[in-house]
Amino acid sequence: MSENHAAVPAINARAEELHREQTLARHKMLDRMFAALLVVQYLAGIVAAFVVSPYAWAGKERVLHLHVWVAVLAGAGITLLPVLLAWLRPGTVLTRQVIAASQMLSSALLIHLSGGRIETHFHVFGSLAFLAFYLDWRVIVTATVIVAADHFVRGLYWPESVYGIADPEWWRFLEHAGWVVFEDVFLVWSCIFGQRELRASALRQAEIEHLSEMEQLKSAALEMALSEIRTATA
Amino acid sequence: MNRRVLLTGTLILAGALWAATVAAAYRAIHRFETTPGEAAIARESWPAASQLARTPGTWSLVMLVHPHCSCSRASIHELAAIVEKAPRDLQTSVLVYRPHDAAAGWERTDVYASARRLRHTQVVIDEDGVEAAAFGGFTSGQTFLYDGDGRLRFAGGITSLRGHAGINRGRTDVLSIATRRSGNGTHPVFGCAISTPATGAKP
Repeated sequence: MSENHAAVPAINARAEELHREQTLARHKMLDRMFAALLVVQYLAGIVAAFVVSPYAWAGKERVLHLHVWVAVLAGAGITLLPVLLAWLRPGTVLTRQVIAASQMLSSALLIHLSGGRIETHFHVFGSLAFLAFYLDWRVIVTATVIVAADHFVRGLYWPESVYGIADPEWWRFLEHAGWVVFEDVFLVWSCIFGQRELRASALRQAEIEHLSEMEQLKSAALEMALSEIRTATA
Repeated sequence: MNRRVLLTGTLILAGALWAATVAAAYRAIHRFETTPGEAAIARESWPAASQLARTPGTWSLVMLVHPHCSCSRASIHELAAIVEKAPRDLQTSVLVYRPHDAAAGWERTDVYASARRLRHTQVVIDEDGVEAAAFGGFTSGQTFLYDGDGRLRFAGGITSLRGHAGINRGRTDVLSIATRRSGNGTHPVFGCAISTPATGAKP
């Protein structure tokens, strides 16, 4: 009993180490996943621009539509940094924060390229759910701030593009962000709960490792004692 | 050490590019969406040069459309909302631009198909933009409302921004004037140019 009690700090330290390793592995895997997703979204944005509005026309003459340039250049700009970070600095706080911001900017870009289709707004909610896989509630907060800032800035200077009317109430961005916060409440809770589960799992694993180590020590001691008895009787 | 500096430099550069891209994209999109097309030099009376039939005593609504203009999807969408709520005797026409030397079916786009689906609306092919020139319009989405005496009541666009459907002053003005049979209005028009610069038909 006292032996077990003395081992608690060591078990806790090992549990913390296991939790760190598992979380890092999870974050690295998700960084790679989001890097791939961002590249796919970038390509999808270009395809959407070519399908929805490929050219601007003047009579029978045509030039590439601004949307195509925005999809190619702005899409590349948004995608480059998070992909580089996922490749060069996987698993860091900065990487997943930049990924969260870029994912929401990709949502804004896709919404614009689709001509403001209301259906494309679902990308925001899907992205938030994906970001929750990090089990880091700060990532959800960053993503929400980006969505709210996008709505606030556009609502201030260019309200028709986000609300469809020219003179919305000043607090309208709060209503839109409110629906995001509604989802956030559950996602943040799931992040905190998920982290607790991970910690509990790491602690169980550390305890099992400790017990296994104790068993091995006992077996070794028993083996040694038996060996000594055999030597004495011989 | 050198590798670390190179790595940090690359990430800082990518970060700066990321921030600059976001700012530039917002600016470019904002400018594009809020810059209207060329406003019409609308005729105060129904243009005599127009071949479009007008019934005296009946109000007429005319929209100019470039069939390949993606922004005009929103204009057609708004026109549909007007047609649904306007008095039934409103004569609505959509003039679809088509160059005389274009390939067969050039004008048959989704914008054209949407116009064809509008209720109580005739769709007329406007070869080389001759009708657009007669009405004094230059931009796809340009809408004219003439009263029963052939006097101009509204000239402008019926979308709030380039390619954005949704309630806006142009649409509500047209509907209000056509319903109350009084008033005048104008609103910026957003869309592609109907005629080809320098060579196209212009009034």
